[in-house]
Amino acid sequence: MYRFIRFSTLLVGLFIAIQGYAAEAPLTTADDLGPAVEQPIEFPHNRHAGKHDPSDPSKGGMEIDCQYCHTYARRSSIAGIPPLQKCVGCHNNIESVKDKPRIKKLFEAWEAKKPIQWKKVHDLPDFVRFNHERHIKRFVEQQGHTSQEACGYCHGDVKNMTVARRQKSLSMGWCASCHEKAHTVAASGVDVGKQAYWYTFQKPATTAKVPEDIKAKGPNDCWQCHK
Amino acid sequence: MIESGFDRRDFLKVLGWGGTAVALSGCGNTSVQDGKETVVSYVEASDYMIPGVSVRFNSTCTQCEAGCSINGRVREGRVLKLEGNPDSDINRGKMCGLGQAGVQHHYNPDRLKEPMLLNGDQSQSVSWEAALKLINDKLQGVSGDQIAFLTGTVSGHVKALLGNFMESVGSKHHFAYEALSSAVLRAANKKSYGVEMPRYSLDKAKVVVSFGADFLGAWVSPVHFSQQYSRFRKGVDGQRGVLVQIESKMTLTGANADRWLAIRPGTEGVLALGLINALGAAGLSLPAEVAAEVKAYDKARVSKETGVAVGHIDKLVALLRTRTPSLVLAGNGPDGFAQGSENVAAINLLNQVLGNVGKTVEAPVSAPFAQLQATNGDSASLYKLNEGMARGQYKVLFACGTNPVFSAPASLKVAENIKRVGFKVAFAHYLDETAQQADLVLPLDSSLEDWGTHIVAYQPGEAHIGIQQPLMEKLHANTRGAGDILLALLKSRRAEEYKAFEDYYAYLRAAVLQNKAALGGGALDDEGFWEQTLSKGLIRVAGSSAALSTSTVVAAVPVATAENPDYPLTLIPGITPNLRDGRYANQPWLQESPDPLTTIVWDSWVEIHPKKAAELGIAEGDIVEVISRTGSIKAQAYLFPGIHPEAVSVPLGRGQNWGRYAKGFGVNPFQILDPVFDKQTGELALNDTRVKIKKSGKRVIVIKDEGAAGGKQMGKKIAVRASTDEVDLSKEV
Ligand code: SF4
Repeated sequence: MYRFIRFSTLLVGLFIAIQGYAAEAPLTTADDLGPAVEQPIEFPHNRHAGKHDPSDPSKGGMEIDCQYCHTYARRSSIAGIPPLQKCVGCHNNIESVKDKPRIKKLFEAWEAKKPIQWKKVHDLPDFVRFNHERHIKRFVEQQGHTSQEACGYCHGDVKNMTVARRQKSLSMGWCASCHEKAHTVAASGVDVGKQAYWYTFQKPATTAKVPEDIKAKGPNDCWQCHK
Repeated sequence: MIESGFDRRDFLKVLGWGGTAVALSGCGNTSVQDGKETVVSYVEASDYMIPGVSVRFNSTCTQCEAGCSINGRVREGRVLKLEGNPDSDINRGKMCGLGQAGVQHHYNPDRLKEPMLLNGDQSQSVSWEAALKLINDKLQGVSGDQIAFLTGTVSGHVKALLGNFMESVGSKHHFAYEALSSAVLRAANKKSYGVEMPRYSLDKAKVVVSFGADFLGAWVSPVHFSQQYSRFRKGVDGQRGVLVQIESKMTLTGANADRWLAIRPGTEGVLALGLINALGAAGLSLPAEVAAEVKAYDKARVSKETGVAVGHIDKLVALLRTRTPSLVLAGNGPDGFAQGSENVAAINLLNQVLGNVGKTVEAPVSAPFAQLQATNGDSASLYKLNEGMARGQYKVLFACGTNPVFSAPASLKVAENIKRVGFKVAFAHYLDETAQQADLVLPLDSSLEDWGTHIVAYQPGEAHIGIQQPLMEKLHANTRGAGDILLALLKSRRAEEYKAFEDYYAYLRAAVLQNKAALGGGALDDEGFWEQTLSKGLIRVAGSSAALSTSTVVAAVPVATAENPDYPLTLIPGITPNLRDGRYANQPWLQESPDPLTTIVWDSWVEIHPKKAAELGIAEGDIVEVISRTGSIKAQAYLFPGIHPEAVSVPLGRGQNWGRYAKGFGVNPFQILDPVFDKQTGELALNDTRVKIKKSGKRVIVIKDEGAAGGKQMGKKIAVRASTDEVDLSKEV
């Protein structure tokens, strides 16, 4: 049953994705919520990255760029978790929240030099290599999207969450739904743009304008992810 | 060995169904751990520490005595993979399989984690303070003559500390023991060339005649020689080098040779002298005393004694006459006999009359610091210690990183004699056979967690000090390096002298920096030089080079071992590139990687010539008993044409009684070796054991890659050559 749901979601996602391409719409895909995960510290992403509220600064967010804390994402295939040092670096100087239970917990861990045991929210099977660095390079550094937008393609609208929750299915079909959009590949599956392989269960739809060609936005080789 | 009825087909069937089951259950993302797995961040991170990005550190491989310089890949604080350090003259960026398995030594689940008091089968963890106090108490009132320290080959600053410790307790009884050593070769070389270890230049030779030197597998510095070998094969002046291997049991090098000659065990020296005689007859000018000495070795006699056909001798002579310079090597074949020293001397003499000394046998460069120079292990030193123990001379024995109870012949009764020592301390990584005999066991750091300096015996380029540095934090909080333990012991004796050094690292650093100028760092400040040293992983120093003596030494005549009709065969223990003397047998990669010649895994075997096997009615897989005068072992027979019909071979390194990857796999031929010693050096004559063979009546399936079970695939062709678009997969499956 679960597989069936997953597969239907995938098809829906694919459908919307292709529609999205046809309309040159921004990169969006259907949501597929992951489990709600309980974290040792309920980290408020909204407070850090959310929209600033000039009328009541104590309520709104601070519009901190994702990459200010998640610095590894642009430097490594793995985004990692920001070191405790990073949290403490700022919070040392924010007296107003120092007595809050969450911040107390943070400083307790810092004094004890004990890392916090976060629970993984996004996980891929071990045979998949997703590379954060390349995606940030392309979407943020080359194309000038904001981090929130680029990270949001896969992580959803984190600025409005407290603890993060998986928003997209992160399945292979879902990845491919974007990758299919901008490379020249013949609909028959024969490579045109020197891609070696096309997974036939998702033969790209042809458009009326270019009956033989469709475009995919990322590399299409199996080994890009399955190394 | 498989003894049940569960054969390969059943195995594949089960595997197939199991695989299908896994595949079916795997359709969802079952390996995904959203919300379950923890992900732990750094508390504080240096700039270069990025999750998913590896950092590399240079260090030194300690898996064998070649001392290759290595480069470890470290990610998220864990060492993952080792490579060779391209900067090193020894290995130039390459490594061998044994070295690769070093990570399995480090992460080994059987490593000792706490100091332990042993009493028979009982063991009890103690603190380091208590352990060191106990040692100090036991050293109280014991004279220096009653204290012995047993190590393997040791060099660098840990050797200096060891020397100081021994001096502080007034003992001169340091024994460096290696079961597989090149001691006979070194002693013979000293006589022939004036140095123990000349530099061998295979890449300058046009023909190499190797008497049992497995330089591609397990001899002296195999990674270095493999690279020389590839240049040798490409050829000097466009002439591809020719390799002739003469041995009783084929080694990996023998399998690569252009011509492999089987020789009757122990007669290598006879052949060498015969070749000299024949070369003289073919026009090579020989010094008069040499000519006189070898006159008796005419081809017919030599051929009869060695089993090498006259035709082959003629061809060899022609080859050596037409291709110069050549290089003749003496390896682990000829040196393992009562007449081992004479054998090697005769082979060295061949190099001398051929004029190779100074051309392909070159003067070595030695590092300037005598106190750091290697004390090379040999087996004679163990027997000296053993005699002392038998006499009850020793009250306190330290054993560090060596396992004589496993690797000495049973007839020497090392295990029993150790019991006569009042107090035994073992510095050990595992509870191996020797550590089991100890009263106190001190757990050592793995070589990837410890500091060290190494000066290896075979220096192929400039004098080279290998730096060993931790590639990651200690896995277990309570292990220590041998240097740290020695330093702690010294501190309780000579507090004033050593109080400045908090630990072995501090000692090492201070000692290196003290000699900064001599080590070539005169222009740098201390910090800069130290940084440079650690990042390079080695220090090159201008060494001094001793001249080789070219005067010919006429070898005494080697005597072949007398025939013994009760024990008609010679046992040649196999030295395999993976397992060597067995100290690493608990690294499963080494157990599971097939032996290069027989492709057998996870087990011992008895190599026997097919002709001999037919004579004795033995087929592959028969469990046979190999019986010597001092013991017997049982293993599966493996019919192998690469062995002399009068010899059998059982590989060394298996048959341990400890370790989850070693215990219960195979047998230990060390145990049944006859106590025969090389007459000149007192080394155990490894290949001089006479045995007979008895069938036990049982037969097993030999687990191996090669041959009928592995190679033929039941008559099916396994590889088809066609481009993918020509293949109709539906028809293939
Ligand atoms: S030869 Fe192999 S085991 Fe020996 S030091 Fe070199 S890499 Fe290590």
